[in-house]
Amino acid sequence: MQPHRSPAAPFVEIRDLRKSYGRGKIPVLNGITDAMAKSDRLVIIGPSGGGKSTLLRCMMGLEDIDGGKIVLDGLNYIECQERGRTVIDRAVQRQVGMVFQHYTLFPHLTVLQNLILAPLKRNGERKPTAIARAEALLSRFGLAEKLKSYPSQLSGGQKQRVAIARALMLEPKLMLFDEVTSALDPELVAEVEAMISELANGGLPMVVVTHDMGFAKNIATKVLFCADGVVMESGDPQTFFSTPKIKRTQDFLAKILHGNKV
Amino acid sequence: MSDYSFDFYYVLSGFSRLLQGLVVSLELTALAIGIGTFSGFILALATSSPIRVLSIPARLFVEIFRCTPALIQIVWFFYCFPMLANVFWSPFTMAAIALTLNLTAFNSEAYRAAIQAVPAAHRDASVALGLSKWHQAVHVVFPQALRIASPVLVSNSISLFQQSSLVAVVSVEDLMYEGKMLAVETYRPIETFTTVALIYFGLSFPISQLVNRIERRNARLLA
Repeated sequence: MQPHRSPAAPFVEIRDLRKSYGRGKIPVLNGITDAMAKSDRLVIIGPSGGGKSTLLRCMMGLEDIDGGKIVLDGLNYIECQERGRTVIDRAVQRQVGMVFQHYTLFPHLTVLQNLILAPLKRNGERKPTAIARAEALLSRFGLAEKLKSYPSQLSGGQKQRVAIARALMLEPKLMLFDEVTSALDPELVAEVEAMISELANGGLPMVVVTHDMGFAKNIATKVLFCADGVVMESGDPQTFFSTPKIKRTQDFLAKILHGNKV
Repeated sequence: MSDYSFDFYYVLSGFSRLLQGLVVSLELTALAIGIGTFSGFILALATSSPIRVLSIPARLFVEIFRCTPALIQIVWFFYCFPMLANVFWSPFTMAAIALTLNLTAFNSEAYRAAIQAVPAAHRDASVALGLSKWHQAVHVVFPQALRIASPVLVSNSISLFQQSSLVAVVSVEDLMYEGKMLAVETYRPIETFTTVALIYFGLSFPISQLVNRIERRNARLLA
């Protein structure tokens, strides 16, 4: 039985999440605990290898976990049970959408086919309604004329925007963005960030992993600094970026903001 | 250069026999391709199956056919298999079985490699989209794998057409067999075998060009 949700309960709750690769040999997440409200846009920053992407992948249910649990909207979503078995509630998983760093559009399908595949196959939606929704979504984001294009005919920015639209077709309650602009040419970053900002303004709860501090500042209601598989520091973006508390965060921000890639 | 004077008269007079032989070669090839294109896929699924009673025999099958000469395979099915299994079918049937199994094994490897070549990120994306394993396989992995495998499948098919000439050894009256007969009868081996070679080449070359086109298209589409 799923417990009922109390009004004060956070939208997403991560409790002592642990994950290691190679049969426990390489720990990646060493007990992450955090919570976000429905109105939150959580931005995760931190050095490479600090566990940001792994955390996001766990939140999508792409990884088995070694300990802890994730609760979404009061429902048990992912839990590590006794004997280390990861249990994922597939119905809850369906409420989460994710966009990846490297374009994961299916190259053999057109833009439209990419968008309607899951609604048709997973949800059994009727084709005309799915097509209508896809067309509406694509024109909303200025991609209407790309409907019949194949992914290989799109720019990197367009590919990412289509990938976001594809995730939105399933009307997720929570969106995860894993370094979605990291693989893009600099001049293409803005259009993708603008699209995410628009969704943020529309009130879509999201978790964003990014290296772009400007974007992080603009979009975040809460910032998490992850390193060594733990949350080193978290706070509202104002305080976090102006007066970071711990040395590690200060050093990281100093490096990033002075243009040195970490 | 030797001062050999070419005389194609006898070859041309026996050309209809070569064409009859060619029909047999093409029948064998078509049969092997028709079956081997599908059975290779099924075998590929078996080789990569987590169920070991499926995967171990499947891999063994593939390795046996990859690691023995096609000539031995044909000869074995012609001489040994009938005695062991106590069935006596026509040379054409035995040759067709050997060639089909051979192509199945090679196509299986093409499919297996192609399935592995589909980016793992697409599996992640499929999970994120909530697609079931079945939908993932049918709508995401297999269609891409088929495209990736297609140049290899075509080139395996061309190879098989060449290797079908080996069946002449077990008295299947294919193009090679008729050529051999004609060469002996006319005392014109140079003209005859050159003609036979040109026929094999003339049919294979356009198809091998197709392979290049598919590869270019794949490079564009699957980038």
